[in-house]
Amino acid sequence: MNESRTTVTVNALGYVGHSESSGEPFRIDRHGVTYVPTGDGGIVLNYRVGDSIFALDADHASPGVSVSHPNPDAAHSLVAQSCIGNIAQVRTGAATGALGVVLGKRGEGSRVLVLFAPEIMELIRPDDQISIATEGQGLSDSDMESHIFNISSALFNSLAFKKSGEKLFRVPVRTSFESKYVGNGIGRPMPLWDVDLQIYELPSGVSDIHIGDIVAITNLDARFNAGYRNGWISVGVVVHGSSPQPGHGPGVTIFLSGPESEFELLSDPQNHMGLTESRLLALAASLKR
Amino acid sequence: MKVTTNASRLVTQIVVGEVWPPLSDRNGFRVDANGQAFFLPGMGGVTLGVHCGDIATRLLGDHVEPGLSVRSPKESVNYALQFLTCIGNIVTVISGPSAGKQGFVIGQHAYVLVDMPEEDMAQVTTGDQVSVRAVGQGLKLLDHENIHIKNLSPELLEGLAGGTNSSGALDIHVARIIPPEAIGAGSGMVSEYANTDLMGTYPDLDSSFSLGLEDLRIGDVVAMIDQDHSFGRGYREGWISIGIISTGSASLFGHGPGPSTIMSGPADAFNVILDENSNIKFLADLLKVKS
Repeated sequence: MNESRTTVTVNALGYVGHSESSGEPFRIDRHGVTYVPTGDGGIVLNYRVGDSIFALDADHASPGVSVSHPNPDAAHSLVAQSCIGNIAQVRTGAATGALGVVLGKRGEGSRVLVLFAPEIMELIRPDDQISIATEGQGLSDSDMESHIFNISSALFNSLAFKKSGEKLFRVPVRTSFESKYVGNGIGRPMPLWDVDLQIYELPSGVSDIHIGDIVAITNLDARFNAGYRNGWISVGVVVHGSSPQPGHGPGVTIFLSGPESEFELLSDPQNHMGLTESRLLALAASLKR
Repeated sequence: MKVTTNASRLVTQIVVGEVWPPLSDRNGFRVDANGQAFFLPGMGGVTLGVHCGDIATRLLGDHVEPGLSVRSPKESVNYALQFLTCIGNIVTVISGPSAGKQGFVIGQHAYVLVDMPEEDMAQVTTGDQVSVRAVGQGLKLLDHENIHIKNLSPELLEGLAGGTNSSGALDIHVARIIPPEAIGAGSGMVSEYANTDLMGTYPDLDSSFSLGLEDLRIGDVVAMIDQDHSFGRGYREGWISIGIISTGSASLFGHGPGPSTIMSGPADAFNVILDENSNIKFLADLLKVKS
């Protein structure tokens, strides 16, 4: 790590999103069949970290609440600066004072995904104010060509992918996907977007994929915009579930990207344990000032 | 193309738009694959010197749009313009010094893109009005029910090589095969609007970024492997989408020259024939555009 300079922490305010729709209630799946999308933003109660990406018949459902800002520039900044593992605190409404933690982010609607304990989730309402202590962008490891982003320094350090003195990230992952599975999010700036995996069933040999799992994408350079690059690896957290829409699917917020020579992927398709709600919430609680 | 269609039942409508200005934001710069800032012209206006048959990445630009970039100021009218306009539709300039001159649609890219002779195009500028004889949406190949057709005028279909072969598949001539790794921005969007950016197309970057697609030409007919664009654009193993390269080079990473989709179906519905001359530049003569 860069010892002489530290990352900056900025409190930024967002608002819990509503479920939204256009005047046309239907979307069209890849077979041309219409459906009414559910779970795409707002407050989703019955979906938790650790649940399967295929657990719900929903569209891009994610656990917790989706947080954004009505001013587009403020929303972009909120999403760009929020990092996985950042502490969030409810500022208004029945859940005032409750602590949550950032799970990830989504593009298009400029949304930060924030987890709360189940009893808090019952109290939160759309438009409640959430303050996020954003921190993590700018984190770097001067020994490595890989870029670190979208993740708080506390969480990244606690994951301990790298032993001191070594130039290798040993990353426990559920599985790896080839870059051709990346759909929506490709070509977009990674501080503002997740990438959707265009999968409609579990890969062979993988028992399940859970929200919170860490996965790798091969031949993808995601340091800036995400795009094809032979021999590069990008690593991220699964933050939302599947989607019937063509070109869409479970979403991954990427936080590490670099040449494959800097990675050893410890793949465990049966028993992988990714980020858990308790670990993330405990981390956030330890950061409370 | 020797094929039976429902073309006689299609509606032809006149839709109008105007040449849209190039747009920028106050920052101007974007970043390339390596985080290097660049500032380059691209979308909007009238882009001279690049036509069907030209190497798509020849010009230094970002999302280079050959010829006229056309939109409509009213959102709903614009969507209709973008959705109803098909590749091969005739476009007539109706205001300004080139009024009466004609070109043809080469694709969509959030703008309708119009190729026309260089000397006529040189007199067209932002704000000039154009009309389009929009026909093509709803087109079907009656002997190929599992192939979805879109954005394709009956005239272009007629001019393409190939057709129904003796085994019942559709012979389609393509200049290049596009692997699924190349599919960039545009994935997950509807396929009647804008196009699919292709990666692996960056002549100035090192070989790790290459998929050997640096020499695509504007107007090339290409086959995208494992892509189903029937109801949006997505990866689907065993499916093929056929497109026409309608935009030139992009420096923004994850973006690049892009095909507008004209066909999509299961791979066994097609007999893909590699033919480096498969390009829509024949349209100017076929359509007898007035210059």
